[in-house]
Amino acid sequence: MIEVVKAGLETGVQDFPGRYGFWEQGFPPSGPFDMWSFRLANLLVGNADDAAGLEIQFLGPTLRFESETLIALTGATMAPTLDGVPMPQWESVAVPAGAVLETGFASTGARTYLAVAGGIDTAPVLGSRSTFHMAGVGGMEGHALKDGQRLPLGDRAGAGRPGRRVRADCRPPIPAGKEWRIEVVAGPNDDWIDEAGQHMFLESAWTLQARSNRTGYRLSGPEWTFAARATDKGPEHGEHPSNILDHGYPVGAVNLCGQTPIILVNDGPSAGGFINPFTVPSAAFWKLAQSKPNDVYRFDLVSVADAQAERQRIDALCAEASLEDAG
Amino acid sequence: MIYDEPRFRPGGDRFIEMELGDELNFDLNFLVHALTARVREARLDGIVELLPNMASIVISYAPERIGYDDVLREIGALHGSLGSLEDVELPSPLYTFPVLYFDHLTRACWEDYCARIGEKEYDPDLMVRLNALESRAQLARIHSGTEYWVAALGFYPGLASLIALDPRCRLTAPKYNPPRTWTPKGTLGYGGSVTCLYPARTPGGYQIIGHSPVPVFDLEQRLRAFRDRLALLRPGDRVRFVPVGREEYDHVTAQVESGAYEHQVAAYAKFSIRAYHEWLATLDMSVRF
Repeated sequence: MIEVVKAGLETGVQDFPGRYGFWEQGFPPSGPFDMWSFRLANLLVGNADDAAGLEIQFLGPTLRFESETLIALTGATMAPTLDGVPMPQWESVAVPAGAVLETGFASTGARTYLAVAGGIDTAPVLGSRSTFHMAGVGGMEGHALKDGQRLPLGDRAGAGRPGRRVRADCRPPIPAGKEWRIEVVAGPNDDWIDEAGQHMFLESAWTLQARSNRTGYRLSGPEWTFAARATDKGPEHGEHPSNILDHGYPVGAVNLCGQTPIILVNDGPSAGGFINPFTVPSAAFWKLAQSKPNDVYRFDLVSVADAQAERQRIDALCAEASLEDAG
Repeated sequence: MIYDEPRFRPGGDRFIEMELGDELNFDLNFLVHALTARVREARLDGIVELLPNMASIVISYAPERIGYDDVLREIGALHGSLGSLEDVELPSPLYTFPVLYFDHLTRACWEDYCARIGEKEYDPDLMVRLNALESRAQLARIHSGTEYWVAALGFYPGLASLIALDPRCRLTAPKYNPPRTWTPKGTLGYGGSVTCLYPARTPGGYQIIGHSPVPVFDLEQRLRAFRDRLALLRPGDRVRFVPVGREEYDHVTAQVESGAYEHQVAAYAKFSIRAYHEWLATLDMSVRF
């Protein structure tokens, strides 16, 4: 068991790849936002891919381990200490019984991932332990961790050992600054935006609003302009040019609500009545996960094939060959 | 219109939106669900999930198992093989929900919106006015005078978009602007030409006209209807609303709270599109309830 001494800002149980098979009923995939960092954490402690861990957002928790185990922290830099001694990230670390892990504010990046040998063993809901806290599904009693809770752990089955490290060139390259370049694919509703509007989206700087979370990432930027399809349409599509007859939303859709683009992410709505002119591909999600409010995005148009190739490249990095013995 | 050929557009590296038409139309929605069922039966390797909605399907696929072009070819071929839908008969359980129209909970919600966000005409009165009805009583009569078709699910777990099967009972309603920050669980809403029951206390944009104590979403799976599911309704199910008085409403509320409530459902019911079309042709469209 792990005792949650302090829960941090919003720390939740997640598993890879998340909750699949119930999207049609309105259950989003959830799961770790930066799956690249999350999968590497599981690898470090010898867990199976689908073992649940913690997603730690912005301000980390204080956790007490009741029995000895093996842990790893990846993702955003969070100045972790174990019984007061600085602890390396991106490395498997042996933890004695009773030890206390403290984490601070995320400095580089925004989300840190904790894997524990054996995985977090909360009850799966609809086949996944991932937390979808908006509807109170999965995780620890449906929501982010609370002070005083105790997290059950699974049996240690893997051959993980301390002192394993992720090679520097196999980690997501989280930048220290505020500037990001994010890939987007055109569609599905790019034909609702005129050429000038598409050009504007790709050429402008977009600021990430504070009102952003695992449901959606709101962006501030210039005004959109629309194609004829958006204005010359049946009344069932709704009044505003950005309104469309209710339809399904891809995960990663740049969902245009009036003039505000909202990137729909892991816990986003499955359907609604706004257009999605562009979509952020899965391989760029680690960038969204590791950025902070007021960071600035510029978007690079890529093809479906390019987006799929990048996903394959990252998948290949989430493997044993990316680990080395710490010097 | 319903397109002769479906239109496909990518949504990133793992999704494709397939548009079958671009209007709110029962036949089009029926086509969406018939094709969705056909794709599910075909069990194509690499198709992960399907998200059918009013006139389109979002297809989630695993690119390492099936390519973009292969998805289009395979699903395009299934679309081409559907044939006439007139002969299709689907299982279509019919659920009955007791509703207290113009109830105290939605009234309190509207009052809270007026006090905190801005003055707004009382939702039932707005709907009476915009649909040229005589009274709230007629609004309740028309709203409860038809079966509804579950045209889509989504936005929130358990939220079903319902469209009236009797065209004489179709109403329209604008959405809240700005939206409400909260809506009582069980609220009956109307937005555009769609009605819904709110599965949980959530923000919302539909006009609110009544309340049902009978849940459509139950994480704790307390009631028998939720034994094998968290969300009650499926596309192609049907729903009927029955106006009840306060006494019956309180009785059902108590039954739901005690865990003894049994959802009223004709689980054996089927839906024949041919019979529906034949019935539509007999209607006197000048009659209003």
